[in-house]
Amino acid sequence: MISNKMQSPIVEIHHLYAISQIVTQNLDWKPALDEIVKLSRAIFIYDNLVVYLTTPKNNLEVVYARAAGRGRSAEAEMAWGDAIAAAVIQKKETVLEEHSGDIQISNRLEYPFLLGIPLFIGDKPLGAIVLIRFGGPAFQDSDIELANFIAQQISLLIEREHLQEQFHQMEEQQQQYRLQNDFVSTITHELRNPLGFIKGYTTTLLRSDAQWDQTTQQEFLNIIDHETDRLQELIDNLLDSARLQSGEMHMQFQPVRLDTVMNDVTIRAKMNHPNLQVQLHLVNSALLVRGDPRRLAQVFENVIGNSVKYAPGSEILITINQEASEALISFEDFGPGVSAQYLPFIFNRFFRSPDIPSMHGSGLGLYICKQIILAHKGSIEASSDADKGLTISIRLPISA
Amino acid sequence: MTRILAVDDEPLYQHLLKVNLEKEGYEVITANNGEEALDMVSSRHPDLVVMDIMMPKLDGLTASERIRQFSNVPIIILTARGEEQDRVRGLNIGADDYMVKPFSATELIARVRAVLRRTSNAEQATQNRYFTHGNLKIDFARAEVWKENKAVFLSATEYRLLIQFAHHVGQVLTAEELLMAIWGPQYREDKEILWVSIARLRQKLEDNPHAPQHIVTRAGLGYLMPPIERD
Repeated sequence: MISNKMQSPIVEIHHLYAISQIVTQNLDWKPALDEIVKLSRAIFIYDNLVVYLTTPKNNLEVVYARAAGRGRSAEAEMAWGDAIAAAVIQKKETVLEEHSGDIQISNRLEYPFLLGIPLFIGDKPLGAIVLIRFGGPAFQDSDIELANFIAQQISLLIEREHLQEQFHQMEEQQQQYRLQNDFVSTITHELRNPLGFIKGYTTTLLRSDAQWDQTTQQEFLNIIDHETDRLQELIDNLLDSARLQSGEMHMQFQPVRLDTVMNDVTIRAKMNHPNLQVQLHLVNSALLVRGDPRRLAQVFENVIGNSVKYAPGSEILITINQEASEALISFEDFGPGVSAQYLPFIFNRFFRSPDIPSMHGSGLGLYICKQIILAHKGSIEASSDADKGLTISIRLPISA
Repeated sequence: MTRILAVDDEPLYQHLLKVNLEKEGYEVITANNGEEALDMVSSRHPDLVVMDIMMPKLDGLTASERIRQFSNVPIIILTARGEEQDRVRGLNIGADDYMVKPFSATELIARVRAVLRRTSNAEQATQNRYFTHGNLKIDFARAEVWKENKAVFLSATEYRLLIQFAHHVGQVLTAEELLMAIWGPQYREDKEILWVSIARLRQKLEDNPHAPQHIVTRAGLGYLMPPIERD
């Protein structure tokens, strides 16, 4: 008959103290649990200990198992813990399963006495630990108390492990976010595609072991040409963005006629995109602002370019008007527009609409536009009716 | 004719790969992401897969891992410049070679030829993506398990344990081998966690866990999934 009070109370307290010390040391949780099992068995007898954790999919995963006493050398059926673990987690309280009546000492393994204790942090359930005694004796209140103490220590260990993992994940996410805003990594990432195609199709044409017919050669050369333009555009955007960041974008301010600039821009746009329909409404022509004509043209071209990309086939309606002491220039397209959740972010650096992940671009265009307009002491806004189109409105102070 | 599967979410890369490989006399089929790649490997049985890593839905590395569950079709992964850890991970998972973007067309052809040459002698098996053992069925591509056509929900560890047996039918696996393969070297001596996991697997998979048919104990030796006798 095994007595629980094998040691004096002082030795028992010493062991409890040692167990809680393990938790405060920064050991890996597995060797920590190994230690805890060793120490706890000195004050409190049990044969098997199994630790269950619930997974995000509400499954039960066994993360630790120890057969320390009887049944250690037999490959004992250790699945009984499952049912009681599930019960413990569901009821959120300690569950005891014991045999009453006679027990065949010769066949202890047939009579498992099970004590299941929930693992909690606060009221968040983590799982359960199950202690098994083959053939008894029954668990006393003092045993259950000790078992609860051990369960709490194990909860702390597991929670620390979880927190550490979460912390690492968050660090990684932060790192990712930093990278995305990082100039160098954006260059590497964005330039990869056009460079890849230029290299790919050029070397394809250069293959000494292959002949390509005239039409195919033209096709490949056109691709290379197109990708070179994309590359140029990307580099220009990246440079502008860098100049803006370091305050190096110098603009030449002078009196500028908005209608002249806009006419130039729309003619060029129609040349580059022969099927483009642009309607220009100069409600108030001859509006004069103080600005850099080249940079203003850049902004207008960029906005039109976005509509061509994201609303292909749509007509673009451009209006120049006067509102109070400001010139109001609006560009309206009738394409898919931008969803309300992303609208506030479209002027952010490197932002690209998650709605259309395959679209190419640095995400810099509108950011650069906004910076240029701000430098002109103006403002730029976007509004969109889902599926009905996007309107970009630019306001600039009128020059006397 | 040798059939090559080209996987990239960028249509222009699909086109680039296709024109060059077709010029070499290969038949080229394409997929847009990892999920499509899995379907195409199991349905079209390509002789080689060229796959980009960075793709939506299912990335190239995870797709390679899943493909390796049921096929040893040679895989060439395409990585971006400077992403060393992806290359190493890809090779560890079972990719046969890698290529960095941007790449030249001649490099592409040379690598494809080399990998095909290397693997033409080795026994090439795209097994069925489905594995059956009595009333048990495993779909490697979806990582799903069925018992008598009812889905069985296994924990991640239990699933990995089960496919170890599925890949070694008729072969006795020692406790140590299983512990190392699934839990790692730290657990080499920890027999108990293996016992518990096997007991739980049996509860979920066997008609009678005390007289198992799928995962059988060989006393003193280990465990095995016995071959099914054909009548």
